[in-house]
Amino acid sequence: MSTEHLTRDPELQDPDSPAADKVTMAGRARRFGALHQAERTLRSMRAYGTVILFSSVSQPIMYILAMGLGLGVLVGEGGDFAEYGASSYLMYIAPAILASTVAMAAGIEFTFPVMEGFKWRRLYYGAQASPLSPGQIASGHILAVSVRFGVHAAIFTGVLYLFGAISSPLGVLMIASAMLGGLAIGLPIMAYVSTLRDEKGQMSLIQRFVIMPLFLFSGTFYPLTNLPGFLQVLGWFSPIWHANELGRVLAFGHPTPAWLILVHVLYLLGITILAWLATVRVFTRRLGLEEWRGRTPGAKADARRQERLAVKDASDVARSVPGETSSAATPVRSELPRISFRRGFGANYYSGNIRAVFGRGLTAIRNNRGVIFLSGLLEPVLFLTSFGLGISPMIAGVDAEQVGLSGGGTISYAAFIAPALLAVSAMNGAIFDSTWNVFFKLKITKLYRTMMSTSLGPVDVAVGEICLALFRGGLYALGFLGVLLVGGLVDPLAAVLMWCTALFVALGFASIGMAVTSFMTRFQQMDWMMMVLMPMFLFSATLFPISVYPAGVQAFIQALPLWHAVELMRDIAFWDFSGLTLVHISYYLVMIVAGLALTTYRMKKLFLR
Amino acid sequence: MPVEHAIRATGLTKRYGDFTAVDGIDFTVNRGESFGLLGPNGAGKSTTMRMIAAVASRSAGTMSVAGLDPEQNGPEVRARLGVIPQQDNLDEELSVRENIIMYGRYFGLPRRWLNAKTEELLEFAQLTHKATARVEDLSGGMKRRLTIARALVNEPEILLLDEPTTGLDPQARHILWDRLFRLRESGTTLVLTTHHMDEAEQLCERLIVVDQGRIMAEGSPAGLIRDHSTREVLELRFGLDRNQEQAQQLTTLLSSAPAPSNGRASSSGSASGVGFSHVEVLPDRLLVYAGSAESALEQIHAAGLRPMTSLVRRSSLEDVFLRLTGRTLVD
Repeated sequence: MSTEHLTRDPELQDPDSPAADKVTMAGRARRFGALHQAERTLRSMRAYGTVILFSSVSQPIMYILAMGLGLGVLVGEGGDFAEYGASSYLMYIAPAILASTVAMAAGIEFTFPVMEGFKWRRLYYGAQASPLSPGQIASGHILAVSVRFGVHAAIFTGVLYLFGAISSPLGVLMIASAMLGGLAIGLPIMAYVSTLRDEKGQMSLIQRFVIMPLFLFSGTFYPLTNLPGFLQVLGWFSPIWHANELGRVLAFGHPTPAWLILVHVLYLLGITILAWLATVRVFTRRLGLEEWRGRTPGAKADARRQERLAVKDASDVARSVPGETSSAATPVRSELPRISFRRGFGANYYSGNIRAVFGRGLTAIRNNRGVIFLSGLLEPVLFLTSFGLGISPMIAGVDAEQVGLSGGGTISYAAFIAPALLAVSAMNGAIFDSTWNVFFKLKITKLYRTMMSTSLGPVDVAVGEICLALFRGGLYALGFLGVLLVGGLVDPLAAVLMWCTALFVALGFASIGMAVTSFMTRFQQMDWMMMVLMPMFLFSATLFPISVYPAGVQAFIQALPLWHAVELMRDIAFWDFSGLTLVHISYYLVMIVAGLALTTYRMKKLFLR
Repeated sequence: MPVEHAIRATGLTKRYGDFTAVDGIDFTVNRGESFGLLGPNGAGKSTTMRMIAAVASRSAGTMSVAGLDPEQNGPEVRARLGVIPQQDNLDEELSVRENIIMYGRYFGLPRRWLNAKTEELLEFAQLTHKATARVEDLSGGMKRRLTIARALVNEPEILLLDEPTTGLDPQARHILWDRLFRLRESGTTLVLTTHHMDEAEQLCERLIVVDQGRIMAEGSPAGLIRDHSTREVLELRFGLDRNQEQAQQLTTLLSSAPAPSNGRASSSGSASGVGFSHVEVLPDRLLVYAGSAESALEQIHAAGLRPMTSLVRRSSLEDVFLRLTGRTLVD
């Protein structure tokens, strides 16, 4: 009937147009719909295509230089990889690094874009209005991401061949095993994310509680057998481990019984197929005929909290308005307390009310379920467990002379990396708060604009946010130091000093991070920032001393802020101070002052245009 | 020492590079008055509001808000303002009640005082039953009311409303207008921008019509209509191709029409019977300006013309704007 109506008016309908024959058109969409959806997703990926290409090339190079050569020097003394079929440490980790980077990318590609499709930009609802079926929309996304993995893995493998990290021609098949690993870890996450109605920090929970542990205990940087038994079990469940081991078989013929190879393949394939089907099912429920909006995470906890609040509020009000039940619908002018603003110098920028900005942040943290907040604590502990336990058996110890500590002797690998991991976690926390969170409030929720319509000045807002970043960083550091104290890796006096240092370091990164964020206009630019942070971590003397590098490279690393933080932490942990300690401190003082000055200047620019 | 005017701007100018958003406008808003800025999108209304609220600097001109220069004393000026932005930017991480309390905290108001104030404002916004709800669970009208309640937490002398009812359904709009009337009666100065004529007619005692950064006219809604339009308008549709040719025919026909018994003379002083002034041609319809649109329609029918649809209505600010700029407001 509708076709008849449309074809009645010859001016509205071009008979040669492919749209003229609705039946054929819909049929084609039903058959190839997944491909249409995949094309759309791939086209949208072009916006950050350069980032993908750049990281595909730079990641393997960075890992080869940092882990393969840097850590390889330390491991080379104690580890023998011939029994695994590899001729060097680099060769041993290369296939696993490929599989791990694909798995990390899966953690991004199967989370944020899905949430975007259902909620933030509701892209799936556009596709829903076309002849495409919900299952095709899901499969289209999966296909597009697979293509992106394929490109990444192909380039990555090419670079590994160039550097001689792979020799066997069979290594090309690693592209397939890595893709399969990415799907096996990504699809279950996609199935879960597509059931969500709201994002209340689930993404970072998945990142920290699922992907991170699965990566850290997947035998990427050392054989899984180095870990104590119960952590090995975790590895067996990790699709990344199965992908790693498959890659090793392909790249250098890692001695593996045939049944185990079959287990690897079946495990990965099984998860992929089951999770794919589950995803299609969720999409069909959500985009199908019946209206199902997905579930609200923590809805029950919210309801309980609101009940509690309602009771508390009722008593508050009863106390503050004794005996009077105001029924006036029009607000009466009561005695207004003094509103905070200042006169004189800087009156336009600072009203002396940092407290309110800080207080708002605390309330928001409380509302956003504490578990997300506390999850930041877990990261350094996981790193320490993984590297401390996994790599230690391969390393006799770190030569104190080699890492610039006086007194000689050797220190355990765990004691070597522990203070550095504290510095890294202080950096990560501060950067996360001052970049992602600030960007979100600046551009997406426009919270700062709201704040600037009150008597707050830009300085109040900036300093309040930095205090919040420090508060969070301080708590994380406290937790991690507690673990170090229990593990006997640091003594109490040093721990107190290290806690202060963590705040000091966090302040440096938070002020610079905020200044940089104020220049950003799009989310994709955040990727570039991550690309600076990753190498900074790898080449920061955290996991191995930088003395393995030639002088030129060393000088470059020493110019970067994280190196100074790591060294400063080690100086305190090993109670070994020198003139250099002062240099590290001055470096951060300059960073803090410059960062704060630039932030304030930018805030003025942004808010008082 | 209180100042007589709430806001005074002279030669107010805002340039972004080569683009002049506000082009040297002068206006004064008296205390307790409700004042409107009327104009199409991009006329410079929001920019003007931003300069009043001390979040945009001036390129030229002077401005005083409650006797202070917003560029020198931003926080102190904003302490006396309530700002209601075009888009509700409520804090989605906080509950309804927390939204008001936190906003009050930004002004440095003590928590104890805010607890009582918030209950009062929730009642005013008819949101008491939603106090602990998440912002996301509110309807569009409720969000708007919460935004207004929030802006009242510091008991502002001047309330700035940028497109207060855009995007709301008619019922929600009327509830909102009712709330704004109450505020007006309690002595709050209202400054609002809108491109909805009915809103301007409902809420503004006095308004300026702005287009391309300049003031086109100033006065009360009724005065502006009297000065720039006829009493009534006849809207006719003849079909897309025929509107233009019909316009010519209608002008000839109506200019020679006899005087109606009850029509008043049109503002153009024409002696013609229906109080005919002129015909405006819009892409989809014709607007016939006449003292009595009913008589004009009779004339047209008598002459054997058969429009597809016809509508008789009173002149509105929309017609004033069309007359002044040659363009419609909402495009």
